Amino acid sequence: MLVYLIRRTGLALITGLAVLTLVFCVVRILPGKPSHVILGDFASQAAIDALDKRIGLDRPIPVQYLDFMGKAVTGNWGVSMVTDRPVIAEILSVLPWTLELTLAALLIGVATGIPLGVLAALKRNRAADNVIRVVSLVGLSFPAFVSAVLLLLIFAIELGWTPVISAKTGSFKAWAQSLALPAINLGLINAAYITRVTRSAMLEVLHADYIRTARAKGVPWYAVVWRHALGNAMLPIVTVIGLFLGILIGNSVLTEIVFNRPGLGKLIVGALSQRDYTMLQGLMVIYTLLVVAVNVLTDLVYGLVDPRVEIR
Amino acid sequence: MKLTIPGAGLGLLALLIATSAAQAQKRSLVVANSTADAGKLDPHQTAVGADKGMLNWVFNALVRIKPGQINPEFIEPDLAESWTANPDRTEWTFKIRSGVKCHGGYGEFTAEDAAYSLKRAADKARSAFAGDMTPIAAAEAVDPATLRVTLKQPIPSLLGLLSNYHGGMMVCKKAAEELGEGFAKKPIGTGPFMFVEYQPQQFVKLVANKSYFRGAPQIDEITYRYMPSDATRDLALQNGELDMVFGRTTDQWVQRMRSLKGVKVASIEPAELNALHLNIKAKPLDDIRVRQAIVHAIDRKAMVALLGTQVSREAISVIPDGNLGIARLPLPDYDLAKARKLLAEAGYPNGLTIKVIISTHPTLSKIMEGLQAQLNAAGITLDMQPVDHPTWHQQIRKDLSPIVMYQAFRFPVADSYLSQFYYSPAAIGQPTAVTNFSHCDVADPEIEAARKEPDLAKQKLLWRSAQEKILAALCSVPFSESLQVWAWSDALDLGYEMVGSLNLAPDLTEKTRFTK
Repeated sequence: MLVYLIRRTGLALITGLAVLTLVFCVVRILPGKPSHVILGDFASQAAIDALDKRIGLDRPIPVQYLDFMGKAVTGNWGVSMVTDRPVIAEILSVLPWTLELTLAALLIGVATGIPLGVLAALKRNRAADNVIRVVSLVGLSFPAFVSAVLLLLIFAIELGWTPVISAKTGSFKAWAQSLALPAINLGLINAAYITRVTRSAMLEVLHADYIRTARAKGVPWYAVVWRHALGNAMLPIVTVIGLFLGILIGNSVLTEIVFNRPGLGKLIVGALSQRDYTMLQGLMVIYTLLVVAVNVLTDLVYGLVDPRVEIR
Repeated sequence: MKLTIPGAGLGLLALLIATSAAQAQKRSLVVANSTADAGKLDPHQTAVGADKGMLNWVFNALVRIKPGQINPEFIEPDLAESWTANPDRTEWTFKIRSGVKCHGGYGEFTAEDAAYSLKRAADKARSAFAGDMTPIAAAEAVDPATLRVTLKQPIPSLLGLLSNYHGGMMVCKKAAEELGEGFAKKPIGTGPFMFVEYQPQQFVKLVANKSYFRGAPQIDEITYRYMPSDATRDLALQNGELDMVFGRTTDQWVQRMRSLKGVKVASIEPAELNALHLNIKAKPLDDIRVRQAIVHAIDRKAMVALLGTQVSREAISVIPDGNLGIARLPLPDYDLAKARKLLAEAGYPNGLTIKVIISTHPTLSKIMEGLQAQLNAAGITLDMQPVDHPTWHQQIRKDLSPIVMYQAFRFPVADSYLSQFYYSPAAIGQPTAVTNFSHCDVADPEIEAARKEPDLAKQKLLWRSAQEKILAALCSVPFSESLQVWAWSDALDLGYEMVGSLNLAPDLTEKTRFTK
């Protein structure tokens, strides 16, 4: 296990360096400069040149690259070119909001998606299965910003159960109220994916010989389903959950915008539109680390849910 | 007068009721703008409208345009109590108001702070508005209460330059020097509200400056939220979580907000002029017949209908309406037959195609799509290359688009817009380039002469002449103007009549209060 972790960490570092290089190149290939955004359309060319010099954009690209890589590996990601605030501080100030939303959405997705997927498989081609399949299809095809506005209209405006602006204010109730709708919005999309994968994985194992044997031996039905069948169907489900965790971190931007929550998604969209190179670079590093961490975690969970998978 | 016991009792009761009513009044205000986050919270460095609006509540200037107005004719004393100028208007002396305190215990505001602020605003390393301040040769504190400003040459509106807009904002020297780059994270001003907190992607919190020189504000706290989702802002206003919101410039939005109970909606000045800037030095637009064909192919009324009659209006000149010195000019008529005839005369009997770079910004692309349809009817095909907004800004500053649809307003004195859009030193490609996309140079003598002209009536004549020449040369085709739209709770009394705000957000002053 330790060797495995060391090897994966080494690979993650190489991936990180490759991503850093890629990000450095991509953000500089994009047309548009942060100095235009910072100074606005009132600025003269002389003022734009002066700002380029101050933020180091007048230097040759290789010099900028070496400076950037040197600082990145030592953990100094510099300051935002647009706001002058430290990149790491900006990221850390919104990271907990993204992690909180992602984990809550994942929890809702798993808690809803797996039971519904199992039920749909057990009731294959019957009314319950059809309803679940249609609902999950709707969940998959519904844009997140539309469902978000509908949730706000129902629960914030009509019922008055939650605020429109999702920002926790200290008390547990306020925190729960502010997290509920965004988490449900993202969680239901997640649940739709998990339901469909669980259904198909369960259908595959429910016809396996060992299930038939277990039933013939008189093993209780619930144990056959939840232990023998679901246990063996978990690999694709874990894969989807792992994949979706990475996607959720990146896809939460529309939910963050509609519910007015801080988050990494909003930060990256802002940095991209303002050509804030340093912020984009810092964000890419964080995203890479998170995705790599999720992949390692997924691999570890494979070993836990299926003893046939050996981690070396 | 004899005071009776029942009378005194009734008086006391009335006082108690009034007091409890005052206590029951809401004293914290929540405002939302449409940006996702704050930029630099430094009045000399931010070019973002959302930040400028909020910083206007934190900072003062030497003079200010009366709250709710945008016309320089409404300029009144702010940190300067009075001012005088020498006969040729190159040396100005300002008497600084005494007893004004900088926020955060940074001491009293003096002429030294004022001189420092002007030098800072003129420093291109520390200011986005350094170009505007170039006419100022020197700013010096004669004594703590006297500031002397010397100009390189007379300019049309020094007071406009020193008003509460862009580089005119006054900072406190001690705070700016002590905080350095950190000043943009902790702005220190002298205004009615003081900065206390910033939460990334959420809000900036301001509290009342109880020792404000015009009197303690009647609002205790302002939360200025960053909310990019239009739908969420609207719902939060409807739900009572917001008191004031920046709106969408569409008739549908205005009508929907007006249908809500307890909500006031206002389309406010300044209007941004929508104009097609035509590069008169590049083919095929170097032929005036092609430019004339374009202007005759554009139906201004139809453009206003497309953009919304409650949030836009027809253009009346090559500069925005409301500018000091604007001339209402007879803009060419919409005449498709004439447009086609002119094209044929110019050698394009079968029409022509022009490649244009456009921004994907929703407002700008909507306008361009409308224009494309209109020009197409006259045989002019716009081959539009959409790029994202920052890219568009960069590419139009490299002369890559012969037609640039630009939406803008400038400080409302004719010289500002004329100098930036139609004066040859501001042409793209020059070291002093600003936004003269058309490479217009036909009115340089009038623009320069107006700057030096001390007589306002003569100055206005020169500006009129400049506008006439620019229109005759068709450096630009102005067609409409877009207003700013805000909505707020009708329980909020701004404390003045709202016509507009140069800083693009309603002024919140010491007189702003809730009535219930």
